[in-house]
Amino acid sequence: MISHRQGNAQRILALDERAEALHLKRDMGIADARAMHPSIDIVEADPEADRRLLEGLADWCDRYTPLVALDSIDGLFLDVTGCTHLFGGERAMLDEILSRFFHQGFDVRAGLAGTPGAAWAAARFCGDRIVVSGEEEALLAPLPLAALRIAPETRTSLESVGLRTAGAVMAAPRAPLARRFGATLLLRLDQALGRLDEAISPRLPVAPLSVERHLAEPVTLTEEIERLVGMLATTLKTDLERRGEGARTLALLLFRVDGAVSRIALGTSRPMREPLLIRKLFHERLAALEQQIDAGYGFDLVRLSVLAVAAFDMQQADLTGEAADDGADIALFVDRIRARLGEGAVLQPVPVESHLPERAVAIVPFTEAPRRTTPPKRPDKMQAPKTIFPPERPIRLFRAPEPVDVPATEMPEGPPLHFRWRRALYRVTRAEGPERIAAEWWREVPSDPAASTRDYFRIEDADGRRYWLYRQGLYGGVSQIPPRWFMHGVFA
Amino acid sequence: MAMTAVARETVFALRRQIAKIEGTLPERLQAPAGATLDDGAGTGPGSDLTIVRRGLAAALPDAFLPIGVERLDAALSGGLPKAALSEIHGLETRDAGAVAGFALSLVSLILNQAQGLPILWIGTSEIFHEAGFPYARGLHASFGIEPGQLLFSEAPRLVDALWVAEEAARMTALAAVILEIRGNPQRLDLTATRRLHARAQGAGRPVFLLRQAAEPEPTAAPVRLIVASAPAVPRATVAGPLAGSIGHPAFTISIGKSRTALPGQFTLEWNPDERRFEERRGEERRERAENPVPVVSLSRGRKDPAAASGEVLAFPAVGSSVAISPAARDQPPPGQRAAHLSPRRAG
Repeated sequence: MISHRQGNAQRILALDERAEALHLKRDMGIADARAMHPSIDIVEADPEADRRLLEGLADWCDRYTPLVALDSIDGLFLDVTGCTHLFGGERAMLDEILSRFFHQGFDVRAGLAGTPGAAWAAARFCGDRIVVSGEEEALLAPLPLAALRIAPETRTSLESVGLRTAGAVMAAPRAPLARRFGATLLLRLDQALGRLDEAISPRLPVAPLSVERHLAEPVTLTEEIERLVGMLATTLKTDLERRGEGARTLALLLFRVDGAVSRIALGTSRPMREPLLIRKLFHERLAALEQQIDAGYGFDLVRLSVLAVAAFDMQQADLTGEAADDGADIALFVDRIRARLGEGAVLQPVPVESHLPERAVAIVPFTEAPRRTTPPKRPDKMQAPKTIFPPERPIRLFRAPEPVDVPATEMPEGPPLHFRWRRALYRVTRAEGPERIAAEWWREVPSDPAASTRDYFRIEDADGRRYWLYRQGLYGGVSQIPPRWFMHGVFA
Repeated sequence: MAMTAVARETVFALRRQIAKIEGTLPERLQAPAGATLDDGAGTGPGSDLTIVRRGLAAALPDAFLPIGVERLDAALSGGLPKAALSEIHGLETRDAGAVAGFALSLVSLILNQAQGLPILWIGTSEIFHEAGFPYARGLHASFGIEPGQLLFSEAPRLVDALWVAEEAARMTALAAVILEIRGNPQRLDLTATRRLHARAQGAGRPVFLLRQAAEPEPTAAPVRLIVASAPAVPRATVAGPLAGSIGHPAFTISIGKSRTALPGQFTLEWNPDERRFEERRGEERRERAENPVPVVSLSRGRKDPAAASGEVLAFPAVGSSVAISPAARDQPPPGQRAAHLSPRRAG
């Protein structure tokens, strides 16, 4: 028996058949129930876990149709339009779903109808019924008002005027109903009867293309899965060729015999349709996920979906059969790295117009970096330096400037004589600077402009190493915080 | 005669095959042709110990990347092998700037030949945190590497970094691969380096293994250089060296391991404008300070670079074919100029 807190009292949320046999009911207080039967077993409700379980079941139901939607906390909508023939008709499909759920240990009721509303009512009030299109009215008429999916308040007020079944509501004149009980009631009624279309909102976007293979004998080995991916990708290739497209995002769904579903997605940096390459990418991804995927008793359904497509540019190969495309090798290489190590495994710097050193270069993942498709017309003009002597920049920059301890400077505004960095003392032999870099006022207004001003020095120590140090803040500024020193980078 | 040539070809082919199986460059050590061990090649003291390697290197003149410093190239018998793993060591993490700088100078030399190809820099998160992340602006300014040519790969674990490096080493679409590792991890052993070396040989691209704060240990790399920074010379100006300024980056290179060279130390200076190395020796500096010609560096990164000074003469030599340009010859003497071009007179 499961309890939950409603208002100030613990109440029964759900209960099993044996508890029902003891004349316990839903919404009964826990205190009353205990008074009646002190030995009952009460478990606190865990809505999060219930939700996760329902989503797991929804994942599993993906094997029947791509359109699976969650219905409040305890139901699933499956839009099986055009899918039933794959399972041998509506009845056979319903039976298979029910028996599979039963063997997984779930007590499930199902209804199949032409509208979501009718199917909902059939599942909850009739059980295992298939409603032929046009029979919705006959189905709903004898059912209580709860079958109409309306709010409890509306239901109570309808009952108070003597309308106790859905049939009675249907027979009543519409205008007074709408005036008194709101438009929702009629909307629900029309939806259930198929007068208005109702769309279910699927959890996952429907893949433009997907191919799958049902297996009589479950597979467990990674190599077998890879081989299957290769076969599925070969099937996929013809579809992609017909559409003139290539896959940008691919997902591999592995349905385990006991209901768990593994979803493995990967992206490609350019449209792809070659089965061998797709297989290679999944090889890397599966190798990386080896620990996380538990094959258990094996997978009995393998599906390869293309989640995103893009136009595929055909490259004409030269006579030796090699396409003259330098970028393709790199893109493929990066895809394989990304498949194994994640999105941010390969990075590329992108120059940004900013004079703050750390902002002047943005490090972005390879796929997000802007691609230069055509070479610039006049490279000389593009790369013209802004000044004749561009400021010296270090070759390595610390991600976070590291605080440096400076005991004394010759003059307050000058470079340090010694400094201590990472617990080692350095003697400064030469210094160049300062180069003053102020904060960017157009981005954020600093509380004290002087405090965020930096004076950069190029410094060479006694061993000839060259560093980039800066002093943050000015002496004698408005704020009384003394300037601090930081190590920001190293030179060659 | 023909028989001997054919026989020699066969021997060469077999030797090449053996080298391929062994994964090494074939070598036959012999003294430089036409030079005795005593007079040397005239590259300084110690050159009498220089040994020239013949074999595949002679057959493939492109197998080595000349560093551009005569003495170091001679010691390495032609430069760094191009299709190989090369180790570049730094003794401490704080030398990371010099080690990376030297490796990037080499990459810059490679990019002179392989224009436009990207380079991949792989490092563990540890080293990028300890020694700083490569800064594209600085790389562009000092080594002429465009930001679009740079690829970085940061792997949290060494295993992943090694895997990426192995995958990258066999790519011919990359100009060079830099793998940066800190310390002496167990996993980076002889086997791991041999795998990298074999892939680099197959692809014909260099792999630079930067090792910060590492002890030399047996690896498959044929060459190991130990790099430290050297104090830079002051900036050169027309009025002589500018006191207290920091000029071009300088490195102290020691050959830690090489098949051919004896241990030696070299001080190189990288010229970011001309993108080449110069060796620094005491007397040379003085000469340079006296001779004002190469003070202003030539324009860089242009399509038609200016010729080095000395090749261009202000007044052409007597008898030269281009002594007088056609345009100059067509100019009429001042007296015969058109009337409207002559200065007007009042009246």
